[in-house]
Amino acid sequence: MKLIRRSDAKLLFHLGLREGSLLVQVLKRYPRVPPAHQRLNKSGLLPNQQENQRLLDEALAEQRADCKKQLQALLADPRRFHKVDSGFRLSLSQPDTEWLLQVLNDIRVGSWIILGSPEGKLEGLNASTAADFWAMELAGAFQAELLQALEGD
Amino acid sequence: MAATATPEVVPGIVHETKDKPKSGLEPGYLVICWNDPVNFMQYVTHVFQVVFGWPRKKAEFHMLQVHEQGKSVLTRESMEKAEHYVHQLQKYSLHATMERDE
Repeated sequence: MKLIRRSDAKLLFHLGLREGSLLVQVLKRYPRVPPAHQRLNKSGLLPNQQENQRLLDEALAEQRADCKKQLQALLADPRRFHKVDSGFRLSLSQPDTEWLLQVLNDIRVGSWIILGSPEGKLEGLNASTAADFWAMELAGAFQAELLQALEGD
Repeated sequence: MAATATPEVVPGIVHETKDKPKSGLEPGYLVICWNDPVNFMQYVTHVFQVVFGWPRKKAEFHMLQVHEQGKSVLTRESMEKAEHYVHQLQKYSLHATMERDE
């Protein structure tokens, strides 16, 4: 994934053929963070704790549904994601970049949770954990490319 | 520099200058970000900049606090504002909560 043009409004990337299809494959796994995983508070001492937690869960579910729609629209829009001879072109506006970062990090964090939230190196990589490990690493790699492009390094 | 005026004391009049008692203030809520081994440092810095509008240096300071001390208190707000910030941080899948500031 290579940044080929950056302006205030847009980032334009070139992805190799394999990279492009890997990006699509990993994005298809969204969302990965289990529903109601996030907690509003650790102590449980907030006023109306249950009601506020319910509202937070609803807001996050709504946001994920919205991101899912945006993702489907992006991948189906030939002006923003299309195949060229040598691979793919991906054009992202500033808002696109922000929700795509959220999507990629959801896949990364969600896969990590599914793998048992390992503190260090994952032990016991096998056929049943390989797909989540792959998704976690790959989402992280695409995320790092986006961040680097945003920072202009 | 402006001159300092001599205070005028009027006998028989007591001026109450005490602060409002603490119990009368709206309770504050701390927005806290907790460490985890999965989120990239660069990503956490970016999220703090976007959510709070902080300059890079301040965002990096709090990111390093999370990384080295296990958590960072990002801001103290009213309940509604704290909920808003927690939601924004959780949208980016950061481990953030709000705790009552006792």
